[in-house]
Amino acid sequence: MTLKSVYKTDYVQSLDQQAQGNLNSSWVNDKGAWVTNVLLICVLKFFFGIIPGISPELSWTLTTLTYNIGSYIMFHAVTGVPFEFGQGAYDGITLWEQIDGGVQFTATRKYLTTVPIVLFLMSTHYTHYDAFAFLLTFSATVINLIAKLPSMHQVRLFDINQKIDATD
Amino acid sequence: MDNPIISVLNSTLSTVAQGIKYVPGSDIAIDYIKNSYQNDPFRVVLELGLAIYAVKYMMSKKYRIDQNHVALTEKEIDELIAEWQPEPLVQPLSDVQRMELEKSQVIVGSQGVRPKVQSTGKTLLNLAAANYYDFVNMEHIKEKAIETLRAYGVGSCGPPGFYGTLDVHMQLEKDIANFLGTEGAIIYAQGFSTIPSVISAFSKRGDLIVCDDGCNFAVQKGTQISRSNVKFFKHNDMADLERVLESIRVESLANKKRPLTRRFIVTEGLFQNSGDIAPLDKIMELKHKYKYRVVLDESSSIGVLGKTGRGLTELFNVPPKEVDMIVGSMANSFAAAGGFCAGHKEVVMHQRLSGQSFVFSASIPAMLTICSSEAIKVLDSPKGEQLIKDLHNNANTFRNAILTGANKDAIDLAGDAGSPILHLRFPSEALRAAGITTRDEETFLLQEVVDEVAVKDSLLVTRAKYVDGQERSLPRPSIRISISAAHSKKELEKAAQAIKTSFNKVVSKRNRDKYGTNVGGKKSQTTLLAGAEE
Repeated sequence: MTLKSVYKTDYVQSLDQQAQGNLNSSWVNDKGAWVTNVLLICVLKFFFGIIPGISPELSWTLTTLTYNIGSYIMFHAVTGVPFEFGQGAYDGITLWEQIDGGVQFTATRKYLTTVPIVLFLMSTHYTHYDAFAFLLTFSATVINLIAKLPSMHQVRLFDINQKIDATD
Repeated sequence: MDNPIISVLNSTLSTVAQGIKYVPGSDIAIDYIKNSYQNDPFRVVLELGLAIYAVKYMMSKKYRIDQNHVALTEKEIDELIAEWQPEPLVQPLSDVQRMELEKSQVIVGSQGVRPKVQSTGKTLLNLAAANYYDFVNMEHIKEKAIETLRAYGVGSCGPPGFYGTLDVHMQLEKDIANFLGTEGAIIYAQGFSTIPSVISAFSKRGDLIVCDDGCNFAVQKGTQISRSNVKFFKHNDMADLERVLESIRVESLANKKRPLTRRFIVTEGLFQNSGDIAPLDKIMELKHKYKYRVVLDESSSIGVLGKTGRGLTELFNVPPKEVDMIVGSMANSFAAAGGFCAGHKEVVMHQRLSGQSFVFSASIPAMLTICSSEAIKVLDSPKGEQLIKDLHNNANTFRNAILTGANKDAIDLAGDAGSPILHLRFPSEALRAAGITTRDEETFLLQEVVDEVAVKDSLLVTRAKYVDGQERSLPRPSIRISISAAHSKKELEKAAQAIKTSFNKVVSKRNRDKYGTNVGGKKSQTTLLAGAEE
């Protein structure tokens, strides 16, 4: 594992970020967003539960995996702002890094970190501690949690989300 | 069992156990803990670790990741406050700034080719204004402006998107497009903010701009405000431009992950800061070869270059539709104020919603619009053709008069043939001989020339002025001459001779001051003074 590049946002980019609020990340602070998060997990569980041939154990494992992969893509894989409003002020920055202007341990961050842990504990319980299911859900959860660590803020491992500059 | 302490402990424990049962949800937790062990300590440790992490995360305090907070004691704070010296609200003027204030000429009455100045009350020959055809004093344009003022009032009172668009605006856009031979045009209310607005409307963060490093201040600000990656090539050096484009191509081939970017070549038609003309034919060749878009700032060249004043495209025989964006100013040869961008229909339409200074500033007053339309009409007529011919002849007359005849070595002339903008500088050898090393000293010396020709020869000339500290590379101090078609040949020849004499005189005087009256000791001095005696 090589820590290839640690880059911080440049000065002009941080000026542009402060020029206006970030519509792309402000919604995560809404209480409705928190409730929706739980609702989505319930919907996922229900969806996997009603598919014939899928045992309750498997449906729990699938729910946890889907939630972790989905939230990883949303918070850690996609960078920038999909509907641009600020001349690319957030280019190369993931949604997780945009939340609350990069402040760590805010209420929203705590909530979004705790949810996957609780989901994982529930999932291992309801799969009756099956070793294989445990291994899958545990690794998915841990990868998701590592990406959320404060020490991973704007750190790029294995070229994931590496910022590409056209010129120097 | 008789031990009272143990029995008390036992009863307490059972009470607590009973109590926990009444806590809602406690049986679930107890069940979970009972079930979860499953004779697998390793797994339990992992789960417990995660749970502890969750609790620890919940307890952590907020902090900013990029914060460099320094904790100061009361004493340190007091010390810092005691040490603090307020800076003056207004900085004391530097020598150059004070000179600028004292020596600036004030024109009394209207602007023109022969304005009256306040300092002496004399009428001077204006070689400082970009008043190429003296449209400001053309009677029928003035009358049209007054007529329009009566019909439309002064301002338009709103940005073009909010009731600020008048019929005359749309007419001028059509006039400009027809004049240049493009699909469409869009007009802006301020000349300076046109090019920054056009560049930043198309080129965003992550996009690529290749820009000439001799471009004017507005272009520099445009590339900066667009947040794009900017690469500069040496002024008018096509080999260097090709080198930059090639290096970008090679670089992008090497990186497969590179996203698709918009790419632009930005340059100026007739360079305000040097009087040079960009080789558009070669630029177009490179544009097609490397697939770039070209943004051409024709602020000074529109209405000036080319046989009929169509600018650089006419001069180099390039179809105007091939240049993606032709940006210009209506303040120079179009007799008004504001700027325009001409190009394809899509290019124009995009700016109506994304050109910052089009969207967010009030549209140009109707009378100025009419003046521009009239100026274009004049330029398009046989009279205009004659005016353009006069301008070219005048520019060449002045240029030849500077380059030939007596004292021709006293001036370093910058500016291509046919350009009505010329920069006059002291040759660097002359400066070295006179012992002038700093920029300020050179500026003062040039100002001496400006003052002398104003008094002695009734010429109004000016030093080229820049925003010190903001320019990418500050050009050497110079006197910027703007030729007009309304100057006569005789006047210009006389002016050129007078300026040359003054250039020579100022340097010789400096030499004498430096070495005393006894000259001839140093070789460089003798040559200079020999020139003065001619």
